[in-house]
Amino acid sequence: MARRASGFDRAGQATVEAVAGIAALMLAALLCFQLLAAGYSATIADGAAEAGAVALIRGEPVEPAVREALPGWARSRVSVSRIGTTVRVRLRPPALFSSMADKLAVSAEAGGKPG
Amino acid sequence: MSEHLLIGTVGSNGRADRLAVERVREAAGDRVGVVVEVGRERPRPASLIAPEQAKRLEATLAEALPGAVVKARGNLVFVAADDSPDLTQDVCRLREQAEGCPLAVVATASRYRELLELGWDEVVIRSDQSEPSPGEPDERDALTELVVEEAAEFADRVELAGPGRGRGSRRLRDRLGSNRGQATPLVLGGVFALVLGAVAIVAISGAVTGKARAQRAADLSALSAARSMKNDLPRLLAPPLLPDGTPNPAHMSKPVYLGRARLAAIEFAVKNGASPLAVSVRFPDSASYAPVRARVAIATSVAPGDGGGGHRAPPNWAEARINVPASMGSVPSMASGGGYSGPLAERQGKGMRPDVAAAFDSMSAAAAAAGVTLTINSAFRSDAEQAALFAANPDPTWVAPPGQSLHRCATELDLGASDGYGWLAANAERFGFVQRYSWESWHFGYVAGPAPCSEEGNSVGTGGGDRSRALSQAFPSVTPAWVRPLILRAAMKWNVSAALLAAQLFAESGFDPKAGNGIAFGIAAFTPAAAAEYGLDDPFDPAAAIMAQAHLMSDLLGQFGSPALALAAYNAGPGEVGSCDCIPSYPETQAYIAKILGMLGGMGAISPVGMTIELVK
Repeated sequence: MARRASGFDRAGQATVEAVAGIAALMLAALLCFQLLAAGYSATIADGAAEAGAVALIRGEPVEPAVREALPGWARSRVSVSRIGTTVRVRLRPPALFSSMADKLAVSAEAGGKPG
Repeated sequence: MSEHLLIGTVGSNGRADRLAVERVREAAGDRVGVVVEVGRERPRPASLIAPEQAKRLEATLAEALPGAVVKARGNLVFVAADDSPDLTQDVCRLREQAEGCPLAVVATASRYRELLELGWDEVVIRSDQSEPSPGEPDERDALTELVVEEAAEFADRVELAGPGRGRGSRRLRDRLGSNRGQATPLVLGGVFALVLGAVAIVAISGAVTGKARAQRAADLSALSAARSMKNDLPRLLAPPLLPDGTPNPAHMSKPVYLGRARLAAIEFAVKNGASPLAVSVRFPDSASYAPVRARVAIATSVAPGDGGGGHRAPPNWAEARINVPASMGSVPSMASGGGYSGPLAERQGKGMRPDVAAAFDSMSAAAAAAGVTLTINSAFRSDAEQAALFAANPDPTWVAPPGQSLHRCATELDLGASDGYGWLAANAERFGFVQRYSWESWHFGYVAGPAPCSEEGNSVGTGGGDRSRALSQAFPSVTPAWVRPLILRAAMKWNVSAALLAAQLFAESGFDPKAGNGIAFGIAAFTPAAAAEYGLDDPFDPAAAIMAQAHLMSDLLGQFGSPALALAAYNAGPGEVGSCDCIPSYPETQAYIAKILGMLGGMGAISPVGMTIELVK
C-alpha cells in the first residue's frame, strides 16, 4: 500500500488545488472588475459633473447635459443635484449586487457661475 | 539499475529496446546481462566476439526456451521471445536460468500486465507514440495513464520515460514528479498579476483624472469669467450718463467689468480644486471697448525632477469668450432684403414681426383649447426668397411677383392644417388676423398693428406702432437728438433698422462727426476707399455719411443675410467674412459686434440676442 500512496494521492492533490485555484482566480477577477468599474465610474462622473457645470454657466438645463455626457448604461444609474453654483453627480457603478452598487457609488462635483 | 527491470511500451518499442540495453549494460558491469524483447519481429544477430560466459548463458537460455531466438552480443544475451500465452512462464524460466545476471524485459502494453505479477525491482513506462494528426483525439494520454496506474500496483518504482514530445507525457511527468503545490504558486501568480494590472490601471487613470481635473478647473474658471462678462455686458454698454447729464447708475465701467470677471474666474477655479495662488487671469482683448475674452492659467504643483531638483510642469490654461453666432438658426434676428426691416420673432421656425408673433401666440392658444392645432407653413419672405418661389410657380394668382408679396412685410402667415380653416374663419379676426384673399383659405394677415411695410411697422419691435414713440424709442437712449432724424431718413430710404444704424454709429465714433483715427473718418468711420465707392465726398458730413452707411449696410445685409455677418463685414471687410461665411476671429471685430448687438438686445430690439459662451481653447 505504501507504494500506491507514493504516486497517486498527488494526482488528487493537483485537482483539488486546481479547483480551489480557479475559484480564487475568479474571485480575484471579480474584485478587479469591481475595482475598475468603480474607478471608471468615478472618471465619467467627473466628466459629467463638468458638463453639468458648463450647462449651468451657459444658462442651459443641467440634468440633461449631465445625462448626455454619460454613456447609455450610466444614465439610469445617475442622480444629479444642484446646490447653489455646484453641480453634484452621484453614479452607482455596475456591480454584482444592487446593494453593493449603492455602497460603491461615486460622487463628483463641479462649479460654475450660473447664467 | 535493479536486477530485474520491466519496461512497458506504449507505441513503438524502439526506444524501449535501447533503454533496456543501456540499463542492463550499466547494471551488469563485468557480468553478463539479459535483454528479453517480447514479440520482436527481427531477432538481433549474434556478434562474432562474445565472452565465454555470454556464450554459455546463450546456450542455457536457448535450451530452456526452445521457441525463442537467443543471441549473445558482447556481454549481453538477447532473447527474442514469442508473444505467446505462456509468456509469463517463459520469463519466469529465463529469470531462473539467468540467476545472478541483470535482466530486462521489454513488453508492449498488452502483455506487460501479466508480467507485472512476477514482481520487479523497477518498472519503466515509455510513451513513444508520435504526435496525433490535427483533428484526431489524443488517445495516448489516457492509455499511458492507465498503464502507469496499473504499474504502480506492483513496481517499487515507476519511471515514466519517453521522448518528451507529447504533452501527455509531460503532464504525467509533472503529476508523478514533484507536483505537490504546483497549482498554488500558479494561482497566487495569477491573482497577483490581476491585482497588479488593476492597480496599474487605477494608478494611470488616477493620473489622467488628476490632469483632467486641473484642466477642468481652468475650463470652468474661464467659462465663469466669460459668463460674468456676458451678464455684465449690457451694463458696460449702457451710457455712462443719463439724458439729464447725471451719472447712469446702470452703467458699469470697464475696470469694474473686468474685475468682476477676474473674481469669478478665481472663485470658480478654487471651487473646482485649484489653489487661488496658482490662478492667473488675463483678458486678451482688454484694450477693446467691450472685452469679450478671458484666459485663465492654473499653475500645476512642483514635481521632483530626475536630478533631485524640481521642475514646474506647464500650466493648464483655457480661454473662453462671448460668441455671437452668425445667424439665429434658420431665421435671421433681423429682417432684411426688402420689405420689413426690423426685428424678427421666431415661431415654429418662421420669422415674423414681434407684434404678429404675440397675436399668433394668443390665437394659437385659443385654437388649442378648441382642439385645433395651428401650424405655420410660411411667414416672412425676403424678396430673394419670393423671387425663387415665383420662379418655381410663375402664376401671379397664386404667387406674387417679388417686391409685391405682403409676406415681405412680416405680417402675413400661411397657416394649416386644413381642418383648422373653419375655426380660423370664425375666430381669426378676434386676434387681429384677416383672411387676405378669398381663394387662399390659409393666408392670414395681421391688421391690428401698424400697416404692413410701414415705417411704424419697422419700429414695432422697439417702440410699437406709434410714430412718436417710434421716433423717441427706436433708438438706443444714448443716441443724441440731433442725429435721430438723419438716421431715420437713411433707415427709411435703405430699409435698414434705425436702431441698428444708431448702435453702429455709437460703436464707430460715439456720434462724433469729426472722429478719425488715420484710417477711417467721420461719424460712420468710412475709409477713403469705401467712401469713394459709395459716393461719399465728405465723410465728416454726418447726413451724407449716415446715408452712405445705411446704403452700405443694406448691401451687406442683402449679401450676408444676417446682421451679425453684415456688421462683421462693415468692420473687417466683406472679403474676410465672405471667404468663410463666418465672423472673423479678430477680437476687435467680435467686440464690435458684441457691443452693437448687446445694445440692441438691451433695448429689446433683437429678441433674443444669440450670444453664447464658448471655450476657445
